[in-house]
Amino acid sequence: MKVRFILIMFFLSQPIMAQLERKLDNETQEVDLIFHAPRHINLLTVEPLDKKTLHFAIMHTFGPLNGGVQNLFGLDNGANIQFSFEYALGEDFSLGASRSSRDKFYNLYGRYHLLKQTQDDAMPISLSMMGGAGVNTSDYTFLQNENPSFSERTSFAAQLMLARKFSDKLSVQVSPMMAYFTDPNPIFFIEGDQNLYLAVGLSGKYKITGRSSLTFQYIPNLNNDLRNNVGVGIDVEAGGHVFQMYFVTSQALNEQYLLAAGNGRIGEEFRIGFNVNRVFATGRKRK
Amino acid sequence: MKNLIVFFLFLFVLTISREAFAQVYKTEGGNVEFLSKAPLNEFTGKSEKLNGLIDLEKNDLDFFIDLNTLKTGIGLRDRHMRENYLETKKYPFAEFVGKIKEKVTIKPGESKDVTAVGKFKIHGIEKEISVPGRITATSNNEIKLEASFKILLSDYKIEIPKVVFYELAEEQTVSISAILKK
Repeated sequence: MKVRFILIMFFLSQPIMAQLERKLDNETQEVDLIFHAPRHINLLTVEPLDKKTLHFAIMHTFGPLNGGVQNLFGLDNGANIQFSFEYALGEDFSLGASRSSRDKFYNLYGRYHLLKQTQDDAMPISLSMMGGAGVNTSDYTFLQNENPSFSERTSFAAQLMLARKFSDKLSVQVSPMMAYFTDPNPIFFIEGDQNLYLAVGLSGKYKITGRSSLTFQYIPNLNNDLRNNVGVGIDVEAGGHVFQMYFVTSQALNEQYLLAAGNGRIGEEFRIGFNVNRVFATGRKRK
Repeated sequence: MKNLIVFFLFLFVLTISREAFAQVYKTEGGNVEFLSKAPLNEFTGKSEKLNGLIDLEKNDLDFFIDLNTLKTGIGLRDRHMRENYLETKKYPFAEFVGKIKEKVTIKPGESKDVTAVGKFKIHGIEKEISVPGRITATSNNEIKLEASFKILLSDYKIEIPKVVFYELAEEQTVSISAILKK
Protein backbone atom coordinates (compact mmCIF):
# COMPACT_ATOMS: atom_id res chain seq x y z
CA MET A 1 0.00 0.00 0.00
CA LYS A 2 2.67 2.41 1.15
CA VAL A 3 4.92 1.53 -1.74
CA ARG A 4 2.14 2.04 -4.19
CA PHE A 5 1.32 5.41 -2.64
CA ILE A 6 4.90 6.54 -2.90
CA LEU A 7 5.09 5.34 -6.47
CA ILE A 8 1.97 7.35 -7.32
CA MET A 9 3.38 10.43 -5.64
CA PHE A 10 6.66 9.96 -7.45
CA PHE A 11 4.84 9.70 -10.74
CA LEU A 12 2.81 12.83 -10.05
CA SER A 13 5.85 14.84 -9.05
CA GLN A 14 7.54 14.06 -12.38
CA PRO A 15 7.33 17.18 -14.49
CA ILE A 16 5.34 16.49 -17.63
CA MET A 17 7.16 16.69 -20.96
CA ALA A 18 8.20 20.30 -21.25
CA GLN A 19 6.16 22.01 -23.95
CA LEU A 20 5.29 25.65 -24.38
CA GLU A 21 1.77 26.80 -24.95
CA ARG A 22 1.29 27.99 -28.55
CA LYS A 23 -0.15 31.46 -28.43
CA LEU A 24 -0.46 34.24 -31.00
CA ASP A 25 1.62 37.33 -30.46
CA ASN A 26 -1.27 39.65 -31.33
CA GLU A 27 -4.85 38.38 -31.25
CA THR A 28 -6.33 41.57 -32.67
CA GLN A 29 -4.24 41.60 -35.80
CA GLU A 30 -5.64 43.36 -38.85
CA VAL A 31 -6.89 41.11 -41.63
CA ASP A 32 -4.72 40.95 -44.72
CA LEU A 33 -5.76 41.91 -48.21
CA ILE A 34 -9.50 42.52 -48.12
CA PHE A 35 -8.97 43.40 -51.77
CA HIS A 36 -5.95 42.72 -53.96
CA ALA A 37 -5.14 46.42 -54.47
CA PRO A 38 -6.26 49.96 -53.60
CA ARG A 39 -8.27 49.83 -56.83
CA HIS A 40 -10.94 47.34 -57.76
CA ILE A 41 -12.23 47.64 -61.36
CA ASN A 42 -12.89 51.42 -61.31
CA LEU A 43 -13.56 52.05 -57.61
CA LEU A 44 -11.16 52.76 -54.79
CA THR A 45 -11.06 50.24 -51.93
CA VAL A 46 -10.32 50.23 -48.21
CA GLU A 47 -7.00 48.50 -48.91
CA PRO A 48 -4.43 50.74 -47.18
CA LEU A 49 -0.90 51.51 -48.29
CA ASP A 50 2.02 51.16 -45.92
CA LYS A 51 3.67 54.36 -44.81
CA LYS A 52 6.01 55.80 -47.43
CA THR A 53 4.89 53.51 -50.21
CA LEU A 54 3.74 54.68 -53.60
CA HIS A 55 0.93 52.96 -55.42
CA PHE A 56 0.92 53.32 -59.18
CA ALA A 57 -2.04 52.27 -61.28
CA ILE A 58 -2.41 52.52 -65.01
CA MET A 59 -5.98 51.93 -66.10
CA HIS A 60 -7.58 51.61 -69.54
CA THR A 61 -11.08 51.22 -70.86
CA PHE A 62 -11.67 50.70 -74.57
CA GLY A 63 -14.61 51.14 -76.96
CA PRO A 64 -17.82 49.10 -76.76
CA LEU A 65 -17.77 45.40 -77.70
CA ASN A 66 -20.61 45.79 -80.22
CA GLY A 67 -18.19 47.17 -82.80
CA GLY A 68 -17.40 43.47 -83.26
CA VAL A 69 -14.26 42.10 -84.82
CA GLN A 70 -14.26 45.03 -87.30
CA ASN A 71 -13.17 47.28 -84.41
CA LEU A 72 -11.44 44.41 -82.61
CA PHE A 73 -14.13 44.48 -79.92
CA GLY A 74 -13.56 48.13 -79.11
CA LEU A 75 -9.78 48.10 -78.91
CA ASP A 76 -9.62 50.24 -82.10
CA ASN A 77 -11.81 52.99 -80.67
CA GLY A 78 -9.10 54.54 -78.59
CA ALA A 79 -8.79 53.96 -74.89
CA ASN A 80 -9.51 56.22 -71.99
CA ILE A 81 -6.29 55.92 -70.03
CA GLN A 82 -5.75 56.99 -66.46
CA PHE A 83 -2.45 57.18 -64.66
CA SER A 84 -2.77 57.38 -60.92
CA PHE A 85 -0.18 57.80 -58.22
CA GLU A 86 -1.02 57.50 -54.55
CA TYR A 87 1.52 58.07 -51.78
CA ALA A 88 1.00 57.05 -48.15
CA LEU A 89 2.05 59.78 -45.72
CA GLY A 90 1.13 57.55 -42.80
CA GLU A 91 -0.38 54.12 -42.11
CA ASP A 92 -3.86 55.64 -42.33
CA PHE A 93 -3.57 58.49 -44.80
CA SER A 94 -2.57 58.74 -48.43
CA LEU A 95 -2.71 61.42 -51.10
CA GLY A 96 -3.24 60.68 -54.77
CA ALA A 97 -3.15 62.35 -58.13
CA SER A 98 -4.57 60.96 -61.34
CA ARG A 99 -4.96 62.03 -64.92
CA SER A 100 -7.53 60.59 -67.31
CA SER A 101 -7.19 61.16 -71.04
CA ARG A 102 -10.97 61.60 -71.43
CA ASP A 103 -11.47 65.38 -71.04
CA LYS A 104 -7.79 65.60 -69.99
CA PHE A 105 -9.03 65.41 -66.44
CA TYR A 106 -6.71 65.90 -63.47
CA ASN A 107 -7.90 64.72 -60.07
CA LEU A 108 -6.35 65.18 -56.63
CA TYR A 109 -7.66 62.98 -53.87
CA GLY A 110 -7.01 61.74 -50.37
CA ARG A 111 -7.90 58.50 -48.65
CA TYR A 112 -8.18 58.16 -44.90
CA HIS A 113 -8.66 54.85 -43.10
CA LEU A 114 -10.80 55.21 -40.00
CA LEU A 115 -11.29 51.56 -39.03
CA LYS A 116 -9.51 48.36 -39.94
CA GLN A 117 -11.07 44.92 -39.68
CA THR A 118 -9.27 42.58 -37.25
CA GLN A 119 -8.85 38.82 -37.41
CA ASP A 120 -10.63 38.20 -34.10
CA ASP A 121 -13.58 40.37 -35.21
CA ALA A 122 -13.08 42.82 -32.35
CA MET A 123 -13.47 45.21 -35.29
CA PRO A 124 -15.75 43.50 -37.84
CA ILE A 125 -15.36 46.03 -40.69
CA SER A 126 -12.92 48.37 -42.36
CA LEU A 127 -14.07 51.93 -42.97
CA SER A 128 -12.28 54.50 -45.11
CA MET A 129 -13.24 57.81 -46.61
CA MET A 130 -12.14 59.52 -49.77
CA GLY A 131 -12.45 63.08 -51.06
CA GLY A 132 -11.25 64.50 -54.36
CA ALA A 133 -11.22 67.59 -56.52
CA GLY A 134 -10.62 67.61 -60.24
CA VAL A 135 -10.39 69.84 -63.26
CA ASN A 136 -11.12 69.27 -66.94
CA THR A 137 -8.22 70.71 -68.97
CA SER A 138 -9.54 70.03 -72.48
CA ASP A 139 -9.00 72.74 -75.05
CA TYR A 140 -12.32 74.48 -75.73
CA THR A 141 -10.89 77.65 -77.33
CA PHE A 142 -12.94 76.89 -80.46
CA LEU A 143 -15.96 77.90 -78.37
CA GLN A 144 -14.50 81.43 -78.27
CA ASN A 145 -16.67 83.37 -75.78
CA GLU A 146 -18.14 80.25 -74.21
CA ASN A 147 -14.82 78.70 -73.31
CA PRO A 148 -15.51 77.52 -69.72
CA SER A 149 -13.51 79.15 -66.94
CA PHE A 150 -11.31 77.19 -64.56
CA SER A 151 -13.95 77.06 -61.84
CA GLU A 152 -16.60 75.94 -64.34
CA ARG A 153 -14.32 73.03 -65.23
CA THR A 154 -13.99 71.78 -61.66
CA SER A 155 -15.80 68.85 -60.12
CA PHE A 156 -15.62 67.14 -56.75
CA ALA A 157 -16.11 63.65 -55.35
CA ALA A 158 -16.52 62.13 -51.91
CA GLN A 159 -17.24 58.65 -50.68
CA LEU A 160 -17.30 56.40 -47.67
CA MET A 161 -15.97 52.89 -48.14
CA LEU A 162 -17.23 50.20 -45.84
CA ALA A 163 -15.81 46.73 -46.36
CA ARG A 164 -15.62 43.32 -44.78
CA LYS A 165 -13.66 40.21 -45.59
CA PHE A 166 -16.30 37.56 -44.85
CA SER A 167 -14.03 34.59 -45.48
CA ASP A 168 -10.72 33.78 -47.12
CA LYS A 169 -12.61 33.92 -50.42
CA LEU A 170 -15.29 36.58 -50.16
CA SER A 171 -14.89 40.32 -49.58
CA VAL A 172 -17.58 42.94 -50.09
CA GLN A 173 -17.45 46.74 -50.06
CA VAL A 174 -20.33 49.23 -49.99
CA SER A 175 -19.44 52.82 -50.92
CA PRO A 176 -21.99 55.62 -50.68
CA MET A 177 -20.68 58.12 -53.22
CA MET A 178 -21.34 61.66 -54.36
CA ALA A 179 -20.02 63.79 -57.19
CA TYR A 180 -20.55 67.50 -57.81
CA PHE A 181 -19.96 69.31 -61.10
CA THR A 182 -19.72 73.11 -60.77
CA ASP A 183 -21.06 73.40 -64.32
CA PRO A 184 -22.29 70.20 -66.03
CA ASN A 185 -21.47 71.60 -69.46
CA PRO A 186 -22.80 69.36 -72.32
CA ILE A 187 -19.47 69.80 -74.10
CA PHE A 188 -17.88 67.62 -71.39
CA PHE A 189 -17.94 63.85 -71.88
CA ILE A 190 -20.81 63.46 -69.42
CA GLU A 191 -24.41 62.49 -70.00
CA GLY A 192 -25.92 63.99 -66.85
CA ASP A 193 -27.11 67.61 -66.75
CA GLN A 194 -27.39 68.09 -62.99
CA ASN A 195 -24.74 69.34 -60.57
CA LEU A 196 -25.04 66.70 -57.87
CA TYR A 197 -24.88 62.95 -58.40
CA LEU A 198 -25.52 60.39 -55.68
CA ALA A 199 -24.86 56.65 -55.97
CA VAL A 200 -23.89 53.56 -54.03
CA GLY A 201 -20.86 51.65 -55.22
CA LEU A 202 -20.85 47.92 -54.55
CA SER A 203 -17.65 45.95 -54.98
CA GLY A 204 -17.18 42.23 -54.55
CA LYS A 205 -14.21 39.89 -54.70
CA TYR A 206 -14.36 36.11 -54.76
CA LYS A 207 -11.07 34.27 -54.64
CA ILE A 208 -10.86 31.36 -57.06
CA THR A 209 -7.21 30.35 -56.68
CA GLY A 210 -4.45 31.44 -54.32
CA ARG A 211 -3.60 34.47 -56.42
CA SER A 212 -6.66 35.30 -58.50
CA SER A 213 -10.19 36.43 -57.84
CA LEU A 214 -13.40 37.10 -59.70
CA THR A 215 -14.40 40.72 -59.29
CA PHE A 216 -17.70 42.53 -59.47
CA GLN A 217 -18.84 46.13 -59.40
CA TYR A 218 -22.33 47.66 -59.45
CA ILE A 219 -23.01 51.38 -58.98
CA PRO A 220 -26.74 52.15 -58.85
CA ASN A 221 -27.52 55.87 -59.22
CA LEU A 222 -29.79 57.35 -56.58
CA ASN A 223 -30.90 60.74 -57.93
CA ASN A 224 -30.95 60.52 -61.73
CA ASP A 225 -32.13 58.37 -64.63
CA LEU A 226 -28.71 57.49 -66.02
CA ARG A 227 -28.03 53.79 -66.47
CA ASN A 228 -26.25 52.07 -63.62
CA ASN A 229 -22.63 51.02 -63.89
CA VAL A 230 -21.91 47.28 -63.97
CA GLY A 231 -18.54 45.61 -64.16
CA VAL A 232 -17.27 42.04 -63.93
CA GLY A 233 -13.71 40.90 -64.13
CA ILE A 234 -10.75 39.02 -62.78
CA ASP A 235 -7.82 40.10 -60.58
CA VAL A 236 -4.51 38.29 -60.86
CA GLU A 237 -1.53 38.75 -58.56
CA ALA A 238 1.75 38.16 -60.30
CA GLY A 239 5.06 38.87 -58.60
CA GLY A 240 4.25 42.21 -56.98
CA HIS A 241 1.85 43.36 -59.70
CA VAL A 242 -1.90 43.09 -59.59
CA PHE A 243 -3.49 42.80 -63.03
CA GLN A 244 -7.18 43.56 -63.30
CA MET A 245 -9.10 42.68 -66.45
CA TYR A 246 -12.78 43.41 -66.72
CA PHE A 247 -15.88 44.20 -68.74
CA VAL A 248 -17.59 47.41 -67.73
CA THR A 249 -20.42 49.60 -69.02
CA SER A 250 -18.59 52.94 -68.79
CA GLN A 251 -15.36 54.33 -70.08
CA ALA A 252 -15.03 56.58 -67.02
CA LEU A 253 -12.12 55.92 -64.68
CA ASN A 254 -12.42 58.58 -61.99
CA GLU A 255 -15.15 59.00 -59.39
CA GLN A 256 -16.80 62.14 -60.82
CA TYR A 257 -17.16 60.73 -64.32
CA LEU A 258 -18.21 57.30 -63.05
CA LEU A 259 -21.32 58.92 -61.60
CA ALA A 260 -22.05 61.54 -64.28
CA ALA A 261 -20.81 60.12 -67.59
CA GLY A 262 -23.57 57.58 -68.10
CA ASN A 263 -23.33 53.91 -69.00
CA GLY A 264 -23.94 51.62 -71.94
CA ARG A 265 -26.29 48.65 -71.84
CA ILE A 266 -25.02 45.53 -70.16
CA GLY A 267 -23.77 42.98 -72.65
CA GLU A 268 -23.09 44.35 -76.13
CA GLU A 269 -22.10 47.77 -74.83
CA PHE A 270 -19.65 46.34 -72.37
CA ARG A 271 -16.14 47.64 -72.78
CA ILE A 272 -12.91 45.82 -72.15
CA GLY A 273 -10.94 47.33 -69.29
CA PHE A 274 -7.47 46.64 -67.98
CA ASN A 275 -5.61 47.94 -64.89
CA VAL A 276 -2.07 47.30 -63.72
CA ASN A 277 -1.30 48.03 -60.06
CA ARG A 278 2.14 48.21 -58.56
CA VAL A 279 3.36 49.31 -55.14
CA PHE A 280 6.81 50.86 -54.71
CA ALA A 281 8.44 51.10 -51.30
CA THR A 282 10.39 54.30 -50.75
CA GLY A 283 12.53 55.54 -47.89
CA ARG A 284 13.68 52.02 -47.10
CA LYS A 285 17.13 51.50 -45.67
CA ARG A 286 19.40 49.45 -47.87
CA LYS A 287 21.88 47.19 -46.20
CA MET B 1 3.79 7.35 11.80
CA LYS B 2 7.34 6.40 11.06
CA ASN B 3 6.34 5.39 7.57
CA LEU B 4 4.73 8.73 7.05
CA ILE B 5 7.91 10.55 8.09
CA VAL B 6 9.96 8.44 5.72
CA PHE B 7 7.50 9.19 2.99
CA PHE B 8 7.61 12.96 3.51
CA LEU B 9 11.37 12.88 3.80
CA PHE B 10 11.49 11.03 0.53
CA LEU B 11 9.18 13.56 -1.10
CA PHE B 12 11.23 16.42 0.36
CA VAL B 13 14.47 15.08 -1.03
CA LEU B 14 12.79 14.50 -4.36
CA THR B 15 11.59 18.12 -4.56
CA ILE B 16 14.90 19.54 -3.39
CA SER B 17 16.86 17.65 -5.99
CA ARG B 18 14.44 18.71 -8.68
CA GLU B 19 14.84 22.35 -7.67
CA ALA B 20 18.60 22.10 -7.50
CA PHE B 21 19.10 20.40 -10.81
CA ALA B 22 16.28 21.92 -12.80
CA GLN B 23 17.93 23.00 -16.02
CA VAL B 24 14.98 24.58 -17.79
CA TYR B 25 15.73 27.74 -19.74
CA LYS B 26 13.08 29.82 -21.49
CA THR B 27 12.68 32.85 -23.74
CA GLU B 28 9.88 34.75 -25.41
CA GLY B 29 12.06 37.16 -27.34
CA GLY B 30 14.49 35.15 -29.44
CA ASN B 31 15.55 36.30 -32.91
CA VAL B 32 14.69 34.45 -36.08
CA GLU B 33 15.79 35.44 -39.52
CA PHE B 34 15.25 33.79 -42.88
CA LEU B 35 17.18 34.57 -46.02
CA SER B 36 15.69 34.15 -49.49
CA LYS B 37 18.32 34.27 -52.20
CA ALA B 38 16.66 34.22 -55.62
CA PRO B 39 18.34 35.14 -58.91
CA LEU B 40 16.70 38.58 -59.08
CA ASN B 41 15.90 39.33 -55.49
CA GLU B 42 17.53 38.72 -52.14
CA PHE B 43 15.68 39.59 -48.97
CA THR B 44 15.42 38.65 -45.33
CA GLY B 45 12.50 38.30 -42.99
CA LYS B 46 12.92 38.87 -39.29
CA SER B 47 11.07 38.35 -36.03
CA GLU B 48 12.06 38.98 -32.45
CA LYS B 49 9.27 36.87 -31.04
CA LEU B 50 10.80 33.40 -30.94
CA ASN B 51 9.43 31.44 -27.97
CA GLY B 52 11.67 28.69 -26.74
CA LEU B 53 12.42 26.21 -24.01
CA ILE B 54 15.57 24.17 -23.44
CA ASP B 55 15.75 21.54 -20.73
CA LEU B 56 19.42 20.64 -20.32
CA GLU B 57 18.60 17.94 -17.79
CA LYS B 58 16.31 15.98 -20.07
CA ASN B 59 17.82 17.35 -23.29
CA ASP B 60 14.41 18.55 -24.46
CA LEU B 61 13.88 21.38 -26.91
CA ASP B 62 10.67 23.18 -27.76
CA PHE B 63 10.57 26.28 -29.96
CA PHE B 64 7.78 28.06 -31.77
CA ILE B 65 7.17 31.36 -33.50
CA ASP B 66 4.03 33.21 -34.51
CA LEU B 67 4.66 33.61 -38.26
CA ASN B 68 2.54 36.79 -38.28
CA THR B 69 5.45 38.52 -36.54
CA LEU B 70 7.84 37.99 -39.49
CA LYS B 71 8.66 41.25 -41.25
CA THR B 72 10.50 41.58 -44.56
CA GLY B 73 10.58 45.38 -44.68
CA ILE B 74 7.87 45.69 -47.34
CA GLY B 75 4.31 45.60 -46.02
CA LEU B 76 2.74 44.25 -49.18
CA ARG B 77 5.31 41.48 -49.41
CA ASP B 78 4.50 40.55 -45.79
CA ARG B 79 0.81 40.40 -46.65
CA HIS B 80 1.43 38.20 -49.68
CA MET B 81 3.74 36.01 -47.60
CA ARG B 82 1.07 35.53 -44.94
CA GLU B 83 -1.86 35.16 -47.29
CA ASN B 84 -0.42 33.24 -50.25
CA TYR B 85 2.61 31.33 -49.03
CA LEU B 86 2.61 30.61 -45.29
CA GLU B 87 -1.20 30.82 -45.00
CA THR B 88 -0.86 32.06 -41.46
CA LYS B 89 -4.57 32.16 -40.81
CA LYS B 90 -4.68 28.38 -41.12
CA TYR B 91 -1.14 27.67 -39.90
CA PRO B 92 -0.04 30.51 -37.62
CA PHE B 93 3.03 28.79 -36.10
CA ALA B 94 6.33 27.33 -37.12
CA GLU B 95 7.62 24.95 -34.48
CA PHE B 96 10.48 22.67 -33.61
CA VAL B 97 10.17 19.99 -30.95
CA GLY B 98 13.09 17.70 -30.37
CA LYS B 99 16.09 16.60 -28.38
CA ILE B 100 19.71 17.62 -28.10
CA LYS B 101 21.88 14.63 -28.97
CA GLU B 102 24.77 15.52 -26.68
CA LYS B 103 24.75 15.90 -22.92
CA VAL B 104 25.43 19.56 -22.22
CA THR B 105 27.24 20.38 -18.99
CA ILE B 106 28.92 23.73 -19.38
CA LYS B 107 30.15 26.34 -16.96
CA PRO B 108 29.61 30.07 -17.49
CA GLY B 109 31.80 31.30 -20.34
CA GLU B 110 32.00 27.93 -22.02
CA SER B 111 30.20 26.87 -25.16
CA LYS B 112 29.50 23.63 -26.89
CA ASP B 113 28.54 22.60 -30.41
CA VAL B 114 25.43 20.49 -30.36
CA THR B 115 23.05 18.79 -32.75
CA ALA B 116 19.33 18.90 -32.28
CA VAL B 117 17.08 16.31 -33.87
CA GLY B 118 13.35 16.60 -33.94
CA LYS B 119 10.26 17.59 -35.81
CA PHE B 120 10.02 20.92 -37.64
CA LYS B 121 6.51 21.98 -38.57
CA ILE B 122 5.42 24.82 -40.83
CA HIS B 123 2.47 25.26 -43.22
CA GLY B 124 0.83 22.26 -41.55
CA ILE B 125 3.58 19.87 -42.66
CA GLU B 126 5.89 18.12 -40.20
CA LYS B 127 9.34 16.84 -41.07
CA GLU B 128 12.15 15.22 -39.14
CA ILE B 129 15.23 17.45 -39.31
CA SER B 130 18.64 17.70 -37.72
CA VAL B 131 19.99 21.12 -36.80
CA PRO B 132 23.57 21.95 -35.85
CA GLY B 133 23.92 24.70 -33.29
CA ARG B 134 25.96 26.11 -30.48
CA ILE B 135 25.05 26.62 -26.85
CA THR B 136 26.97 29.13 -24.75
CA ALA B 137 26.53 29.58 -21.02
CA THR B 138 26.65 33.34 -20.62
CA SER B 139 26.09 33.23 -16.85
CA ASN B 140 24.84 30.93 -14.11
CA ASN B 141 21.24 31.21 -15.20
CA GLU B 142 21.50 32.27 -18.81
CA ILE B 143 22.39 30.40 -21.98
CA LYS B 144 22.66 31.52 -25.57
CA LEU B 145 21.59 29.38 -28.47
CA GLU B 146 22.67 29.93 -32.04
CA ALA B 147 21.61 27.68 -34.90
CA SER B 148 21.11 27.76 -38.61
CA PHE B 149 19.47 25.40 -41.05
CA LYS B 150 18.08 25.28 -44.55
CA ILE B 151 14.60 24.34 -45.60
CA LEU B 152 13.13 23.66 -49.03
CA LEU B 153 9.76 25.31 -49.47
CA SER B 154 8.50 22.41 -51.59
CA ASP B 155 9.11 20.02 -48.66
CA TYR B 156 6.43 21.92 -46.80
CA LYS B 157 4.05 22.28 -49.78
CA ILE B 158 4.69 26.01 -50.09
CA GLU B 159 4.37 26.52 -53.82
CA ILE B 160 6.18 29.23 -55.75
CA PRO B 161 4.41 30.26 -58.95
CA LYS B 162 6.68 30.32 -62.01
CA VAL B 163 6.42 34.09 -62.46
CA VAL B 164 7.61 34.63 -58.89
CA PHE B 165 10.42 32.09 -59.17
CA TYR B 166 13.07 34.74 -59.77
CA GLU B 167 12.01 36.74 -56.72
CA LEU B 168 11.51 34.02 -54.14
CA ALA B 169 14.06 31.30 -53.50
CA GLU B 170 13.09 27.66 -53.17
CA GLU B 171 15.76 27.17 -50.50
CA GLN B 172 15.48 29.36 -47.44
CA THR B 173 18.17 29.73 -44.78
CA VAL B 174 16.79 30.07 -41.28
CA SER B 175 18.98 31.45 -38.49
CA ILE B 176 18.13 31.51 -34.83
CA SER B 177 19.75 33.44 -32.02
CA ALA B 178 18.22 33.49 -28.58
CA ILE B 179 19.16 34.14 -24.99
CA LEU B 180 17.26 31.85 -22.64
CA LYS B 181 16.90 32.39 -18.91
CA LYS B 182 16.32 29.98 -16.07
